[in-house]
Amino acid sequence: MSVETIVTDKAGLQKFYEAIIAKNETYAPVEKFGKYDFKLVKNLSECDPESPIAKTMSAKPLFFPRSAKIMKYVATSAGTDVSETDEDPLAGKRVIVGMKHCDARALQVLDKVYNWDFIDTDYQKRRLNTVVISTRCDKAETHCFCTSLDYDVENLDAMDVLIVNGNDGKVYIKSKSEKGIEFLNSGVTSHTSRVTEEAAGEELKKQYTAFSASFRLKMDYKSINEKLSKIFDTPEFENVSSNCVSCNTCAFVCPTCHCFKISDEKVKDTGVRYKSYDSCNNGYFTLMAGGHNPRPAKYRRWRQRAMHKFVYYKERFGENLCVGCGKCTTSCPVNISIFEVINQVSK
Amino acid sequence: MDYTKQIQEIATRLFAEDKIDVFVGYRLTGFDDNQVPALIRESKDVPLLVFNQKSVFNLSNYLKNDHTRNKRVGLVVKGCDSRSLNLLLTESQVKREKLYVVGIACEGVVDDAGQKMQNCLECMVPAAVVYDELLGEANMERRFIINADIQDMAAKELVQRREYFEEVFENCIRCNACRHSCPLCYCAKCCIDQETATLYNGANTTSSAFHALMTWSLHLAGRCVDCRNCEKACPSHLPLHLFHKWNERVIYENFQEHLAGVHEGDRGAFYKYSMQDPDDFIM
Repeated sequence: MSVETIVTDKAGLQKFYEAIIAKNETYAPVEKFGKYDFKLVKNLSECDPESPIAKTMSAKPLFFPRSAKIMKYVATSAGTDVSETDEDPLAGKRVIVGMKHCDARALQVLDKVYNWDFIDTDYQKRRLNTVVISTRCDKAETHCFCTSLDYDVENLDAMDVLIVNGNDGKVYIKSKSEKGIEFLNSGVTSHTSRVTEEAAGEELKKQYTAFSASFRLKMDYKSINEKLSKIFDTPEFENVSSNCVSCNTCAFVCPTCHCFKISDEKVKDTGVRYKSYDSCNNGYFTLMAGGHNPRPAKYRRWRQRAMHKFVYYKERFGENLCVGCGKCTTSCPVNISIFEVINQVSK
Repeated sequence: MDYTKQIQEIATRLFAEDKIDVFVGYRLTGFDDNQVPALIRESKDVPLLVFNQKSVFNLSNYLKNDHTRNKRVGLVVKGCDSRSLNLLLTESQVKREKLYVVGIACEGVVDDAGQKMQNCLECMVPAAVVYDELLGEANMERRFIINADIQDMAAKELVQRREYFEEVFENCIRCNACRHSCPLCYCAKCCIDQETATLYNGANTTSSAFHALMTWSLHLAGRCVDCRNCEKACPSHLPLHLFHKWNERVIYENFQEHLAGVHEGDRGAFYKYSMQDPDDFIM
């Protein structure tokens, strides 16, 4: 596998995007009501591959849809016929442009869950059929803290192609995987200016240094992991969760939250079963048949969310469930910052 | 509009006189001028409290909170907040004697970009209507404005309106943040959470979003006080105020200029009968 880097300029990058959109089923951030969401695009003017993180929804729904039909059924006098839905989640190859590092990292996190004790074949096929083209941010936004977490932002393998806007005004398009090399050779770019990794490496490093220096938020995730694992019973959780309104937005916009619920849409004798997002901040999330709820108080649900992100997931898979994108914080109606809260709790 | 000092003094006094268990106000996020609601339980935390034009969130939402239930609460309310508080009192959700209300004669709050919020420009009741103590001068005369969004919507053909709202429902992700952040949505079991119901299944489909949002907005018709907590909470930035402002206009025009929560004990347009109610649509 040879890693290739294409060097071009802003105009070349626009052409690259145009070629991708013309030749592939492409998903990119599309603005509606002031918020960007990944949607199928037909030309570049509809979308903005460099949309700000704070205003962009995660690309998670393209792999783990907000609602997916998992089966349909017909009730007859002889019994119930269950069948596959006609919706094929896996149709064709597709390309996602405009994903950020944090979003790409989230896919690595989700991969572990969905290939764990039960293999989610729908998810897996969506992943295999998708080429992820990721852009490295130039500057950290207000609530970003990706560099403070346990992944190497500089070398992330969930993405297939990485685009870096170098400080020298040039744009570096780098293939990061076999899929990425294959994709770059599929006629989406006519650029012949290809340099070796060493030559491009220096400029990419420089860009990364400037990028990582722009972070307002910095923390030591190891001490957070360690402290949080010891303070399950601290009353501080009650304090920090007091102003949460349990609105669930944080979980719905989070690129790594992966809990879901099952519900039916039924008309007369036929019905469709859906798998849709759920949130542990919901009072009824842990409500059991018979009425018992092991997490009746808000602070317990809040603690579950924080602990799952920074302790439980880490114990099972060796990584944090948080990617530091700050989407939960920017979407929070009362401006609660997860960064601030976990640091306060584990003080 | 900066009442930080006065509110801190009031909170200190209330804690000293042991009149409250918790004081609900605002504090700074700590890194910018945005604010976070703060539930202060000890007098040593009182210096955190602030109040200025960035104090946006309607705090009466916290009266259904675990931390305030069955406690004596000090609360800061602006005009719209006090109207929702009034409705909560009327609907027996909170007890007046358990509350110490600091009313604000509000001059309007600003959004993240520093622009005055649209609902503040159209506000009919800027000063708190329920209070134990009022900060600022309540002397602003206002008149009912049908805002530009509603005028545009009214000018559209039904088909166009349908197209517009289909887009709204398509962009809804069914997180129900609008419902949770609404101070007047306090039902212990909400119909849009009914997982087994045909219309309101939890799926994120356009039809379930339609049913959930329409039911929600109709349940708030004649009760919504236009505080825009829902719109601030919406992660998709949906123009949720359109539902409520439309209902508000219809009710204002047809039900003796009724505005939700302005008068104590007023049960709302849909909850009372009056001889003056229009009946010309009855055959």
